[in-house]
Amino acid sequence: MTSPVRAGNGAPLWRRRESGRRLVAASALLLLAARTASAQSPTPGGMPPPAGMSMATSAAMRFPQPVRVGDLLRRDVIQPVASQNFLGTVQQIVRDPDGALAAVINLGGFLGFGSRPVSVPVDALVLLGQVVEVDAFTPAQLRQLPTYSPGSAAPLSPDAIIKVGLAKPSH
Amino acid sequence: MNSPFRPRKRPDPAILEDHRPLLRLLERRGLIRGGLSLGALTMLTGCDVTRPRSVEDALLAMSRLNDSVQAWLFDPNKLAPTYPASMVLKPPKFNAYYDVTDVKPVNGADWRLELSGLITDKRPWTLPQINALPQRTEIIKHICVEGWDYIGEWTGVPLRTFLERVGADLQAKYVAFKTADDYPSSIDMATALHPQTLLATRYADDTLADPFGYPLRLRMSTKLGYKNPKWITAIEVTNTYPGGYWEKLGFPWFAGI
Repeated sequence: MTSPVRAGNGAPLWRRRESGRRLVAASALLLLAARTASAQSPTPGGMPPPAGMSMATSAAMRFPQPVRVGDLLRRDVIQPVASQNFLGTVQQIVRDPDGALAAVINLGGFLGFGSRPVSVPVDALVLLGQVVEVDAFTPAQLRQLPTYSPGSAAPLSPDAIIKVGLAKPSH
Repeated sequence: MNSPFRPRKRPDPAILEDHRPLLRLLERRGLIRGGLSLGALTMLTGCDVTRPRSVEDALLAMSRLNDSVQAWLFDPNKLAPTYPASMVLKPPKFNAYYDVTDVKPVNGADWRLELSGLITDKRPWTLPQINALPQRTEIIKHICVEGWDYIGEWTGVPLRTFLERVGADLQAKYVAFKTADDYPSSIDMATALHPQTLLATRYADDTLADPFGYPLRLRMSTKLGYKNPKWITAIEVTNTYPGGYWEKLGFPWFAGI
């Protein structure tokens, strides 16, 4: 699987080109789509944990579902906002020596260059269909994380099953 | 800077005064009412359709016309595309009119499916009774009005089989659903009898998980996602238009794909 070409703002190029074509073809329909989309979701999904709540408690409230590690790899990681800003891709799921699960995310980059891996707890993630959202860190907080080095953490096999919480679309 | 398109010689403002009575007739609402057409209606979607009343009525009439055209176009025997099991998204994508943290799981042991309306045998059903009915599996695409989709594998009793079993009036117009999350919904009888319309109890060969409608939900291959209620608690067969949660807010009722 090749990763899609990305534009400066992070959205895959094909996605932007497609929406551009649609805009030209049927701006009225787009208006309609925008309106129905906002009506479909009066409350935003993927909200960060409330102040004082641990990531684990917050993740447990999101009905964690079993997911195969191999199915998570290479998935897009996006910001939980309506514009679905691209943040990176899932590179690995690793287990720390103390048993905590973390996701190694290839953060940012362009055409596969300039990205760097960072590690976030699996409890900071939510599943949103085919993509993964980081709801417990802002993009600025993610960028401040140190570059991940394998160290003592062991990658999980693609056939391992882990549990990840859910969110509704953020629009 | 003045616009280069501004005419050098401007018209005499007195012209406006001459036509004052005529201009007064061109009220905004009158213009909207008079200008209603299919094309104009698409431009009105950004307006507050609750007022003026006449605009709302016209839009709803157009939506009902769309519904009837879609019902007329609907082929009760044509199957929607199905997909290989390798393309199934596990777990499926969650959506509702609230976030997942507000999902109230249903206890399958206490759960009963109530029946009402034009049905001969209205005895409520338990989950084991429903699971004992003939099952069908469909790998179909879930398409949301928001623009996203995914491929899911759903198993359950075809709604047609269930309606025949309870002696429902298959000539009735509507099948309506009530759910545990207060999300009423309804569909046309032709779609209810479509071979790919299921009362789903399983996803990807596993019991339906709580966020996706355990113990029983509707899955149709021929309608948009919001027409598929989860956590169904009651089914009614009726000839009176039952509407639904989003339909009451102006969404199309037929919502075919």
